[in-house]
Amino acid sequence: MFGGNVKMALMALRTSKGRSLLTMFGVIIGIVSVVTTVSLGEGIKQQIVGQINRLGSDLITVRPGDIITRDLKGNITKINAINGFGFSSGSLSQSDLTTIQTTPGVQEAVPISLVSGSVRANGVEYSNDTIIGTNQDLPDIIKQNLAFGAFFSKAEARQQVVVIGQNVATQLFGEQAPIGMTLTIRGQDFVVRGVFNRFTTSPLPLGPDFNNSIFIPYQTALADTNANSQLVQVLVKPNNPNATNATIASLNSRLFAAHGQQNDFTVLKQDENLAVTNDILNLFTAFVAGIGAISLLVGGIGIVNIMLVAVTERTREIGIRKAVGATNRQILGQFLIEATVLSLVGGIIGIVLSFVIEILIRLLSDMQPVITWQIVLLATGVALIVGIIFGITPAIKAARKDPIDALRYE
Amino acid sequence: MKATPKRQPVITLKDVSKLYGFGGATTLALDEINLEIEPGEFMAVMGPSGSGKSTLMNIIGLLDRPTHGTYTLGNRAVARLRPNQRAKARRDRIGFIFQSFSLLPRLNVLENVALPLAYKGVPLTRRLKRAGIMLEQVGLSDREYFMPRQLSGGQIQRVAIARALINDPSIIIADEPTGNLDSSNSRVVMELLSEVHKSGNTILLVTHNPELTRYANRVVYMHDGSIVHDERTPIGEVPRLARRAMDLFPRKTEEDDLAGVSALMRTIPDKPAGLKKRRKAKRRKPATKKQTARSKH
Repeated sequence: MFGGNVKMALMALRTSKGRSLLTMFGVIIGIVSVVTTVSLGEGIKQQIVGQINRLGSDLITVRPGDIITRDLKGNITKINAINGFGFSSGSLSQSDLTTIQTTPGVQEAVPISLVSGSVRANGVEYSNDTIIGTNQDLPDIIKQNLAFGAFFSKAEARQQVVVIGQNVATQLFGEQAPIGMTLTIRGQDFVVRGVFNRFTTSPLPLGPDFNNSIFIPYQTALADTNANSQLVQVLVKPNNPNATNATIASLNSRLFAAHGQQNDFTVLKQDENLAVTNDILNLFTAFVAGIGAISLLVGGIGIVNIMLVAVTERTREIGIRKAVGATNRQILGQFLIEATVLSLVGGIIGIVLSFVIEILIRLLSDMQPVITWQIVLLATGVALIVGIIFGITPAIKAARKDPIDALRYE
Repeated sequence: MKATPKRQPVITLKDVSKLYGFGGATTLALDEINLEIEPGEFMAVMGPSGSGKSTLMNIIGLLDRPTHGTYTLGNRAVARLRPNQRAKARRDRIGFIFQSFSLLPRLNVLENVALPLAYKGVPLTRRLKRAGIMLEQVGLSDREYFMPRQLSGGQIQRVAIARALINDPSIIIADEPTGNLDSSNSRVVMELLSEVHKSGNTILLVTHNPELTRYANRVVYMHDGSIVHDERTPIGEVPRLARRAMDLFPRKTEEDDLAGVSALMRTIPDKPAGLKKRRKAKRRKPATKKQTARSKH
């Protein structure tokens, strides 16, 4: 009987293709938006995990703003996701960098600061740019080698030199190794010293794509921007990988003192960094997926509507079925299965479309969405549940029809 | 004084009444009907519109429940069954043939015939095989995979007969099965029903066409919710009363049939004496009920 009902349901879908498709649109859009959002979040998470593995677990990150709350033992008790969303800035200054660099246990401290401004070369403007002020230890701390040339040295800390990502090289100069060529940042000429190898993932959680970035010495950035360059992160490598916690403790106390007893900065281990980023991503994903869920709700209402119409249209059929011995439960089952099949077919179309969209996103942007089997299973389950929840009312209406009235209906 | 040994009736209705609505708007559709139908009877039910024929058939067919009275189908009291039990009893004991639109338009002929078996839980291949056999019996085995819209009216009714027979029911209820058919198709359908009857089935036929009573061995006339005349007649003959309707209004259309039956009911006083007495006795009781219903008006 179940198989027969499914067959009948598919037949009903086929006989009114246009109407079924319109009804399914709500479900399709809902499933596509939920799957795409979750897959984007999943993709970013996987990138971050890859990044943590690359950078090593002993890396310490100092970020502006109060992102987390710790208990006395140093465990995170609360994540202030809003503060941690993207790069907060403003509360880390040049003097903080010096404080960090002079803290005992710190081997290297690499500033990441953002410089605003346009980049030009040979009259071509590069629009996709991120200009990062940093120091000579960056390649070491993010474990990335250069493809051509060399990174600027400590001696060049105040010079107009630049290292670029591969996309910048090809798009601005039209070649892979534009060593010695000149580009202009904020009206100043910079000489290209090196080109990074291609970054497979961004080294910073939620950070810019380093393939599109231009790296200049931090001191130069300060000089060029009248010390307005924003310090968004400091990457710290401790002397002893086993003493990470001790180093964090001393960083915390020294910065706390330097900031006039204000907790407006955050020192994080790599795994904590991951936790913070995951938390932020989950919040973001849940928010956008929630919007997708609204379209699922609308899709569900469409199903109720069309099934109510179907029940009325097929009153005579219900009458005949009851006359030949269908019980109320069998009629209920038939219409419930029909609504569920409608929703499920919509869900499957939605999942297929999501795969197409995933490929398009990968081709057309730098994002790497990942559709896992869990997401597919979740989407299928959601479509199934939508069908059952929204199909039950029309199915009950069909089941309760009086056989005599139904047989009289024409 | 013991009656001559009688076959156990397949249907026994005792004081069955059906009221619709409540309060001042109460309508009495059936008025204490007493009826016994023996296995193998071919009973035609005649009467003008609103006389309660359909209500009676709905109750016998377990589509409806009587307001009062008892209904025994076989050995089982079925008047008070719950809807699901009624559906199952209907499935196993009763076959319906309706006047029109009796097939599901989206199923093919074979699937339509097999439908009652599906609700019984018979596996697909078995039920299709059985449906094939039934179609062969009604002479439509070459139409198995046709859709209902590809069939003529007569063929549709023959498919409906095959479907009604598939569960091997105790009773077949045919509600104006030839109402939408021309005379030659009507004859084919009636001959088929007649064959079904000959093989031992009980058939209840609702009709306006006095000519069709020829196939029945019992004719019941209804008026205002009561059985006003009950007549046994040899198969092949149109009973006296029905013939009178035919003479009064020679058949042209269905309306003429209706008018004929209505006119017939006005002439009913010359009904058999025995029946008259029974009716009088019966009338006394429901009269009080009717009066109460009317006094509420």
